[in-house]
Amino acid sequence: MADTKPAAGSVTLERVNTPPAQTWNYLRTNDITLTVPFASRKGDVYFALPRLFEGMECGMGQQVTDWVESQSADAHYVEVRAGQKRTEPIVVTSMDTGVMVRAGAEATVVIATNNEGVLAAGRSVLSPASSAASKAKRGLSESADKTEGSAASTQHSTSAALVRIIAERDARVHVLEFVCANDERQHIESVGITADARARVDVRQFFLGAATTAAGLCCSLDGADARFELTCRYLGRDDERLDINHVVRMRGRNGRTDIRESGVLDGRARKALRATIDLVHGSSGSEGAELENVLVLSDDVVNKTMPVILCDEDDVAGNHGATIGSVGPEQIGYLADRGLTQEEAEALYVRALFDEAVIAAPTPEVRATVLARATSVLGAEVARDLVEGLGLDSPAGEEA
Amino acid sequence: MSERTQKRSQVADVDRSLYDFTYSEEGYERYDDGLTPEIVRAISAKKDEPEWMLNMRLAALDTYHAKEMAPNWGPSIAGLDMDHISTYVSPRTNQAKNWDDVPDDIKNTFERLGIPEAERESLAGVGAQYDSEIVYHNMREDVAKSGVVYTTIEDALHDPEWEPVVRQYFGKLIPPADHKFAALHYAVWSGGSFVYVPAGVTVDYPLQSYFRLNAEGAGQFEHTLIIVEEGADLHFIEGCSAPKYYEANLHAGAVELFVKDGARLRYSTIENWSKNMYNLNTKRARVGADAKMEWVSGSFGSHVSYLYPTTILQGDRGQCEFTGITFAGATQDLDTGCKVILNGADTTASVDTKSISKDGGCNTFRSSVVVGRKAANARATVSCQSLMLDDISRSDTIPAMDVRNATANVGHEATIGRISDDTILYLMSRGCSEAEARTMVVGGFANPVSKELPLEYAVEMNNLIKLEMEGAIG
Amino acid sequence: MSHKLLSVQGICAGTEDKPILHDVSMELDSKETHVLMGPNGAGKSTLGRVIMGDPTYDVTSGGIVFDGEDITDQAADKRSLAGIFLSYQAPVEVPGVPLYSYLRTITQKRPELKMTARKFRNRVGEIAEQLDMDSSFLTRELNVGFSGGEKKKIEMLQLLLLRPKLAILDETDSGLDVDALSVVSRGIEAYRSECDGALLIITHNTRILERLTVDRTHVMVQGRLVAEGPGSLIDDIDAHGFVQFERASEDGGAA
Repeated sequence: MADTKPAAGSVTLERVNTPPAQTWNYLRTNDITLTVPFASRKGDVYFALPRLFEGMECGMGQQVTDWVESQSADAHYVEVRAGQKRTEPIVVTSMDTGVMVRAGAEATVVIATNNEGVLAAGRSVLSPASSAASKAKRGLSESADKTEGSAASTQHSTSAALVRIIAERDARVHVLEFVCANDERQHIESVGITADARARVDVRQFFLGAATTAAGLCCSLDGADARFELTCRYLGRDDERLDINHVVRMRGRNGRTDIRESGVLDGRARKALRATIDLVHGSSGSEGAELENVLVLSDDVVNKTMPVILCDEDDVAGNHGATIGSVGPEQIGYLADRGLTQEEAEALYVRALFDEAVIAAPTPEVRATVLARATSVLGAEVARDLVEGLGLDSPAGEEA
Repeated sequence: MSERTQKRSQVADVDRSLYDFTYSEEGYERYDDGLTPEIVRAISAKKDEPEWMLNMRLAALDTYHAKEMAPNWGPSIAGLDMDHISTYVSPRTNQAKNWDDVPDDIKNTFERLGIPEAERESLAGVGAQYDSEIVYHNMREDVAKSGVVYTTIEDALHDPEWEPVVRQYFGKLIPPADHKFAALHYAVWSGGSFVYVPAGVTVDYPLQSYFRLNAEGAGQFEHTLIIVEEGADLHFIEGCSAPKYYEANLHAGAVELFVKDGARLRYSTIENWSKNMYNLNTKRARVGADAKMEWVSGSFGSHVSYLYPTTILQGDRGQCEFTGITFAGATQDLDTGCKVILNGADTTASVDTKSISKDGGCNTFRSSVVVGRKAANARATVSCQSLMLDDISRSDTIPAMDVRNATANVGHEATIGRISDDTILYLMSRGCSEAEARTMVVGGFANPVSKELPLEYAVEMNNLIKLEMEGAIG
Repeated sequence: MSHKLLSVQGICAGTEDKPILHDVSMELDSKETHVLMGPNGAGKSTLGRVIMGDPTYDVTSGGIVFDGEDITDQAADKRSLAGIFLSYQAPVEVPGVPLYSYLRTITQKRPELKMTARKFRNRVGEIAEQLDMDSSFLTRELNVGFSGGEKKKIEMLQLLLLRPKLAILDETDSGLDVDALSVVSRGIEAYRSECDGALLIITHNTRILERLTVDRTHVMVQGRLVAEGPGSLIDDIDAHGFVQFERASEDGGAA
């Protein structure tokens, strides 16, 4: 499956996370190339997801799907019965997870990643070399990140999650994604969702840290009157790299899509965000909107944005917008009047990201993950403040 | 040289009769189809070019053969077979300064397109190209006296005063290796314009070059080189059209614009190539400090277009304004847009584009806004509106932004939609037929572009819209 | 002198999913002024739009005869050219189309109004003055960025320019301010005195009617015409509201 031959035990995923329509290649915005660990599983039987998950379009593309399936121990299938309102979140515990939300049911799916890998009830799914846990024999943990343009050739371990969700008619699905690793981690997260008639899917993503975060999400609104809402909040700092690909296929009639992306970039962070709303022929009456706000705090930042609308239908409305810039002089002035220096004002925007993430965290484990990251980014004092502000007791969340 | 009769495959298409008329090219000089060093040498020899130009052509030909098209690009150009395109077709006539000296059939062509009339009324100078060669070139005397040069590149190359200038600028902004069709252009370029506006000179009336491709299965490869010196001001208009054939035609021109410090250049285009045309044109401007580049672009014709005028704001406080409209009707796949690179501090760019898709036509709008590290306080806004006139057409919007400066501010907005039923009802309830109502709304949609054009071109553009909307010229 | 101008005959109409008008009949003679009143959501505006020919509404039974001709199946533009004018509560904005060009286009469509550009300009100037309109309006885009009152002026300008045989003024729920109200009143007055046309005013704001002689009043409740009477019926409604009719309608429905 790999085209090139990198170091033994690893493969290169060439030009993955690609959007349906691309721009000039020389802009280097269309895709990302990743070097990932690869252990041969010859002779093993893979206990895969039910067939209906096969062929589902996932955000990072088929190459990543194939790779995850080749490396995962086994797939994890969860079903929520028709009409069931499941309150306990489904926390993703396998690299390869399929969730079936039957007609009229409601469920919350949580994908959280910290330094130990993809989190679930304190159990690490993908172990880095240092903690040599259950999957170590697969050689997953060690890999060199030698992707193009990467100056820092430090050894990055890789974690990954592939999650496919089917929302049957009238289902309600909430997806929460948290990436809170440190700069020794390369994290790959590919999500695919299909929504049948009147299903409502909302996704909240918090990409708050990792040497490389490559995340793709594709939602296909197949049935009529389906709705999709996506809020993506990201933070890029130091030498972190973010590569995000969002795709919504609007196929059914009268669909609604609302995508809001916003983030803060500092240091030498590099970010590429691609968001595509595809109004497929037959999606008449549909409306799709996409908006991104980026706050750039350093001249060394590389911020790439590609908001795409594809339209093959006339009775539709599509719009997108993006604003990229620094904290405006007016805002700085206002905040200065309230006693904040420019640095403090900028820090406020970063803190706001964590505030939101902590509030959104559905379980103590996930909250601890976010707080641990907050501690390393904002310092223990601010992290403690976050906790106290929320009326939670555990400071950095280790014991949560 | 191959000789052909023209009746065989011209497409009966009465609606476009204003543009769809052809004259026999019998007796013309037509080079063999395809691309060989011999053809390139023949073109160069015919033009009696300096050695450096021939070498540049031959090197470009190698580049052309070596380069591949990116596999993930928009509309297909599979219908384009260079082995069936003649790269050089010349009417056997010398360049005239007086319309009476132009052969009748060619003169009639331009009369019907309204060029001599526009020249009398509102232009400072006109160049008219027919197939591969400029057949008419003239400029008002007062403008010439101010030191403005408006001629062909071929003539400039034969002038000892201007040959070094051409050599200095030619191919510097769009290098032959830029992409496959840029290389092709440099191998076989012929005709086009050379304009030089001395420092501080304002040319009060526009200059216009009109490009007409009459021959079937041929290519037009004109090169436009404009240098607007410091503090000077020019409006240049480019028009293009061709009759419709079944066999593919190719337009691979190149436009290089040098806008020096404090200068202003407005470059307006009304492009109405026929629907068998592959319009793979490259346009680029480099803009100095405190200078301004204004693009006004109306794209109506061609089968497939790749057209993304590029502006490089190199100096501080440079400005770029891009106003464009693209109308894609049946069988058209138009991939258009623009690129702006902001390198200077306090530079500004504003891009405002409209697209209209109808009868199964495809529009792709692409843009790239790149803000360099040194472009402190750069400002860029991109606004893109697309109108869908039916459910079999297509409109894609693919903007890209790359920002590397913390003080820059870049905004983008795009909307896609159709004409609301309420609007149609309102206009119908005041007596407009549905077709008139739609034409009126589309005309209004295009208005921000047409109002940027000189009156007679705005009228031409509105006529083109009517033609596309109603199938007959009013 | 007067003759039957509009005859709505047992119209049932509605959208795809719900019927709105039930068996509505109404007669209106030339030069008459009628008022259509009724509570919110009664279907008054729908009737105006059905007479104009809005394709949003399907006419499932009944018919409309205007000036001796069955127009039930005609498109809105044909009805407009035949002499029906509907003034909208919220006129649509048409970006990029200057008001002047628009007025010229719709005037030239009517053989009886064809005139030279110079005459036309003068005529528009006269009406603008009459309505106390700034002539700079004419170069602005049709209804784009105009206030509610200004949009009303533009509607009245078109009314006086096109001189229709029947003007339907849909003022329901429009919450006109005092200025707009006076513009509309002035427009109606000028239309009555100069164009000698008939009027169907859809409203529940009786102030607009104060200076008008109303020939007939129709009351609509829940998509049915439940009462019809002379102009004086308005005073009755002013005093007692629609409750009496609503009750009657419910009783009727129950019966």
